Amino acid sequence: MGMIEWIRLLIGLSLLIIGVVIFASEIIGIFKMKYVLNRMHAAAMGDTLGLLSSLLGLMIISGLNFTTLKMVFVIAFMWFTSPVSSHLISRMETSTNESLSYYCEEMTLKEIEEEDVT
Amino acid sequence: MSRKKDDSLYQKTFSYKFFKWMKGEKDPLVGNVEMTPKKDPKEEEEETINERLREKQMMLEKIYDVENNKLILNFRKIYKFISILFCITMFAILFLNVSYLPPVGDAGNPSDNEVPVRYIEKGIEETGAVNFVSGMILDYRAFDTFGESNVLFIATITVLILLKVDSKLKKNDPEKYEKETNDRTLEPKKDPILQFCARYLMPVIVLFGICTILNGHISPGGGFSGGAIIGAGLILYLNAFGFNDTERFFIEKTYKVVCFVALTFYCLAKSYSFFTGANHLESHIPKGIPGAILSSGLILPLDICVGLVVACTMYTFYCMFRKGDY
Amino acid sequence: MINNSVTKAAFIIILVILAILLFFCLLRAVRGPKIADRLMSVNMIGTMIIVIICILSLFLKESYLMDVALVYSMLSFLAVVLISKVYMGVYAEHKKKQEEEEKEKIVYEEEVRNGDD
Repeated sequence: MGMIEWIRLLIGLSLLIIGVVIFASEIIGIFKMKYVLNRMHAAAMGDTLGLLSSLLGLMIISGLNFTTLKMVFVIAFMWFTSPVSSHLISRMETSTNESLSYYCEEMTLKEIEEEDVT
Repeated sequence: MSRKKDDSLYQKTFSYKFFKWMKGEKDPLVGNVEMTPKKDPKEEEEETINERLREKQMMLEKIYDVENNKLILNFRKIYKFISILFCITMFAILFLNVSYLPPVGDAGNPSDNEVPVRYIEKGIEETGAVNFVSGMILDYRAFDTFGESNVLFIATITVLILLKVDSKLKKNDPEKYEKETNDRTLEPKKDPILQFCARYLMPVIVLFGICTILNGHISPGGGFSGGAIIGAGLILYLNAFGFNDTERFFIEKTYKVVCFVALTFYCLAKSYSFFTGANHLESHIPKGIPGAILSSGLILPLDICVGLVVACTMYTFYCMFRKGDY
Repeated sequence: MINNSVTKAAFIIILVILAILLFFCLLRAVRGPKIADRLMSVNMIGTMIIVIICILSLFLKESYLMDVALVYSMLSFLAVVLISKVYMGVYAEHKKKQEEEEKEKIVYEEEVRNGDD
């Protein structure tokens, strides 16, 4: 193995480790936050940045072939779908929780616009 | 020729009394036998009723007083402990079993018999499929797969019999039909974000499923997995856009036609192939070059048949359990 | 490059760490007080499993495992969509039933009061 391959391996492994660290911080956030909507904020981090960095590391390690192309597909698919699933979960939470005003402030769109103007 | 008796004459006969007794209209023992008079339940005094109610209330309080009931508390503790112990022992047993398994891909592993050797040595030559699994299930053991797809078909028919709303109800009693079919009227429909996602995602998923089916003899996949992917795409579309949009391309007639055509083609094609093979005749089905997309004889069309049946089955199951009608 | 012993050891260590993280996700799913918690942790488990499958496909040098990862991501998305929508529908139905029962109760009590008068 030459020098360039070692550097490639090192970059790939460091990116993988960054991804795993992001997953670990996601777990910490899940146990520290106190309400579901806050916890979801921590959980969505792994869907986007954790997946991107870990798969990017794997791509660099594997080189250019069909596996890399399929990894790009996986990243595109997950980035397209994970916001939608987060939206559905949060919508379920807001529509089924009866004591929502205890946890968070409810505002309509008009009120937010008025606040922005003033 | 018998004549009808008068009512007064008929009432004296035995059969009249017997049928009257059978219907329970009159007890024949009431006038004849001496009986103890029934107790009137209203005769109880109010105090006794109140006392009984109070005692029942006290008993219920004693039973459902969970915080002070020692039996329930002890039972809960033991239940928790035993459930955790059970899980840990199951984990340990399973991991112990896994550690004794031979390593994957080792040349020194014990082989079962000569059947897999034959598949590996002559599989490509005899079936023309690079994917051994596909060659096995759709060529060597094709009637087995035919039975499996028939089992799916029969399961769908049973679900249709049990869960489908009567189609005559639509004409005769539209109000009741609406009530029975729209069981989830309160569910939020037409979510614009999900609709945007499904509009771009559903064609991609269905294309991926078709690709998996068509490459069944070259790469892993095949009829069952590809059909399941197509069914999942259809279910996603149904969730985003509702039944009004899906009824344009998938109704009961579609299901009938697709399943019937696929199963009949499968049966006829494979029967022909087996007949010629058993009588040492030439079947005139070209094997092609292994690895090309148009190769390996009958495996590709049979894969398409199985995929269609599986996709229709998945979609029908979802529709039936959801609404009871397409 | 993948045959290198350093790469293999690193992959195994990362797989073990991800398995431990998965266990914590499972803990959240068991403990979660709301149904949204459980769904969220299911979504997270799906993401982690995708990463594990991708690592395995390099580790075992089997490129077809990537197809499995694609299908898995699709199925986890579909599961979240279906369960959240069905739960919203069931909850609304349950709520409506409760309200109707309360209305019937009020009507019945009024009738009883009128009868007493």
